[in-house]
Amino acid sequence: MRRVGLITTNILSRIAVGYAIAGLALVLPILTLADLGEADKGEEIYFQHCAGCHGEEGDGLGPGAERLLPPPRDFTSGMFKIMTTAFDEYVPRDEDLFKMVSDGMPGTSMPGWSDLLSDQDMWNVLSYLKIFSGYDEEEPGPELAYGEQIPSSAISIGKGKELYLEDDRCTECHGLEGKGDAKKRLLGDNSERTWPRNLTKPWNFLGGNDPREIFARISTGIPGTQMPSFADEASTKKLSIEERWHVANYVKSLEKTVEVVDPQNTVVKAVLVEGDVAETTDDPRWQESQPSTFFLVPQIIAEERQFTPSYDTITVRAMYSEEYIAVLLTWDDRTKSIPGDATAEKISEEGLAEDGVAIQFPVTIPDSMEKPYFGMGDVANPVNIWHWKSGTTDLPETVSLMNAKGFAEIILRESPDVHATGTYLNGTWRVLFKRKIATENPGEDIQFSEGVFIPVVFAAWDGSAAENGSRHTMTTWYWLLLESSSVWEPILAGLIAMLLVIAVEFWWLRNIKRKQLAD
Amino acid sequence: MRKIPRLFQMIGIILLIYFSFIVLFDYLLDQVIPSSLLRMYMFFIIAGVVAVFTFTEGSTEELLAPIMEMMENPEKRKVRNAVLTVMPILVGAYLYSQMVPSVEAPVELRSIHPAPPSSVKLFGKRYNLQTLVNPLRKYEKDDPEKFRELVREGARVYIENCHICHGDKLDGQGLYAVRLNPTPLNFRDVGTIAQLQESYLFWRISTGGPGLPDEAAPWISSMPVWQDFLTEEEIWQVILFLYDYTGHRPRTWEE
Ligand code: HEC
Ligand code: HEC
Repeated sequence: MRRVGLITTNILSRIAVGYAIAGLALVLPILTLADLGEADKGEEIYFQHCAGCHGEEGDGLGPGAERLLPPPRDFTSGMFKIMTTAFDEYVPRDEDLFKMVSDGMPGTSMPGWSDLLSDQDMWNVLSYLKIFSGYDEEEPGPELAYGEQIPSSAISIGKGKELYLEDDRCTECHGLEGKGDAKKRLLGDNSERTWPRNLTKPWNFLGGNDPREIFARISTGIPGTQMPSFADEASTKKLSIEERWHVANYVKSLEKTVEVVDPQNTVVKAVLVEGDVAETTDDPRWQESQPSTFFLVPQIIAEERQFTPSYDTITVRAMYSEEYIAVLLTWDDRTKSIPGDATAEKISEEGLAEDGVAIQFPVTIPDSMEKPYFGMGDVANPVNIWHWKSGTTDLPETVSLMNAKGFAEIILRESPDVHATGTYLNGTWRVLFKRKIATENPGEDIQFSEGVFIPVVFAAWDGSAAENGSRHTMTTWYWLLLESSSVWEPILAGLIAMLLVIAVEFWWLRNIKRKQLAD
Repeated sequence: MRKIPRLFQMIGIILLIYFSFIVLFDYLLDQVIPSSLLRMYMFFIIAGVVAVFTFTEGSTEELLAPIMEMMENPEKRKVRNAVLTVMPILVGAYLYSQMVPSVEAPVELRSIHPAPPSSVKLFGKRYNLQTLVNPLRKYEKDDPEKFRELVREGARVYIENCHICHGDKLDGQGLYAVRLNPTPLNFRDVGTIAQLQESYLFWRISTGGPGLPDEAAPWISSMPVWQDFLTEEEIWQVILFLYDYTGHRPRTWEE
């Protein structure tokens, strides 16, 4: 009986707690959100965690700022990118700011703080940073009108696509396929370089990528950048609420699902093909080849360093024949960087260079874990580098072969037997490399062989972001595997072993029988 | 109580050792044991155990007794036939699985905190890491105000140079962290700087990835060589900042 009593009091106390929580939840929204934070408590947090980037004065000029693109927000400007207020309002809602601080801004150096700071800490720091812009004294604007959300469907996406293309509405900046392959040089309010978002990579959206968030961005635009509001009555490209839902559904549908990074996959698998390997970047056989996508990181190890890269991933496919190996590299690039070309010069940062891509292999495939240093090898372990460049208005594309033993010791090889060719379409480069499986210089060239894991590094240059020489993005070591064609050998070996064991067993049994008969 | 046949005793002992290795490494030490290493250990262990169990002729006979019994006793026909059919299949399948080419990338184990060399050349000078101390640490007691100043300088060095990989929260989650392989270390974790001495950090920061010994796979670490970009003083400052921000204490020789 005592047991039961215990359980009932337990349940009763839980019910009581439940009511208390429910009661609190009802009371809380009545307090305005800003009241949740205390600026003087936020000041300390601000100095410890935020001032390094946003500056002690809130002017976005902290010591970390110099190497960041986009730069940290200048809170004194009163401009915030992510808002859900009606068009033309400039004071963001508290929820908007809270979301940015708690979840962070993907693809930028602004991290989410919810794992380190409590909700109360974040409200406090927000109360403090609102003082920089005087927003502690101002009321946020009303929430924007969402109307009735239109669920995504083929019809809605179709309508959205038409509106996206109509009058060059979004294509003007985001390109035909949404990769952000702009035709214009876009600057933010502080004359920092901005790039139209690549809509096929929605995990990089600052404000989140569910259709409701996308709807909000299309409605308010992104203040401080050239991403316009399409709820603006004065705009000739204005969209109604319904139309904005269709466009949001269309944008959501652009998300890339292949050619995305799978952190588990570190191997590029080359399959054996009948006849010749692909000679062109649009050979239909590439469609069947399994892509592997890797992250690119900016090169910050050796001078000149690159802190503000524009590429983030590269996708690799490979195939081989008896005689040749072919590797296809694809990556999104907003700009086709052809020095000498008027449009390219206009869009580019100062110092337009060619776009480029490179593959690095060890000269000898290591048989232990030891590999050459991933950044161009080392004295004891030389590497081969195949380097393709997109060409200028005067020069065609080029490919060169280098042997390197570290940054300082690079030999350009004469008449390389590596071939490469690239094509650019709607914001994507596709570059094909081709070489013989075996060459006449085993001491200087890698000799490919089947069934072994071959270390490989990739590097890429965006000429319009002034990437050139050692300023580029790259990967660390991954693997290339020429998939073994011998399916029969293991099966045969297994069968033979089986037969041998059976033979031994029979022999043994026969011996035992004989012995038993003899006894 | 019936005695367990010696054959099963032997198999039992070998299996016990095998699984205790796995439990020890994979679960207790949290470091999956490489299969090649395990195979080598097991080879010696099996050889040893077999040697012990077959020490005299009598013991060998006793060991093999259950096998002979199974093969020779007509009452055990069913068991015998089952074993004789399964054996060849197992052997064939094992060989096949060994020969079928693997498409799984090789597992490469590296030591994350390798033993430091006792003396090392940094900034063109030779340092004895066993006796080296952070020359700025003394201000923590002697001149707290100056110490705060130095930590602030360290914070500047960090936010200018380190956060894009190690994260501005020092959690190893900087903007480019997920893009790297191996990923940057998390300084807030109790298993990194909390276990190390300041001189160790000074060595690791100054010489970066290429300064690692071979067991730590220097060829794949993307940690830059900071003596090329920072001054000695800045490195000692940033070390003060790392401990200050995370609340960890450096290891000292007394401990
Ligand atoms: C490592 C540098 C860094 C640190 C540290 C940092 N931020 Fe940011 N923050 C940024 C950058 C960069 C942006 C701008 C991103 C953009 O414009 O796309 C930003 C933007 C913001 C925004 C603007 C959101 C908007 O909608 O425009 C707020 C608010 C903000 N940060 C708050 C904070 C707070 C609060 C902290 C400390 C708890 C903090 N930040 C720490 C780099 C940083
Ligand atoms: C004049 C150029 C321009 C036009 C036209 C334009 N955009 Fe943008 N858009 C941008 C820029 C620039 C950014 C990135 C701003 C930044 O740096 O944060 C952007 C960002 C975005 C984002 C990312 C939002 C986020 O949370 O990060 C979406 C979604 C988007 N645009 C959709 C559209 C759609 C849909 C249209 C057409 C209805 C459109 N844009 C028209 C320039 C433009």
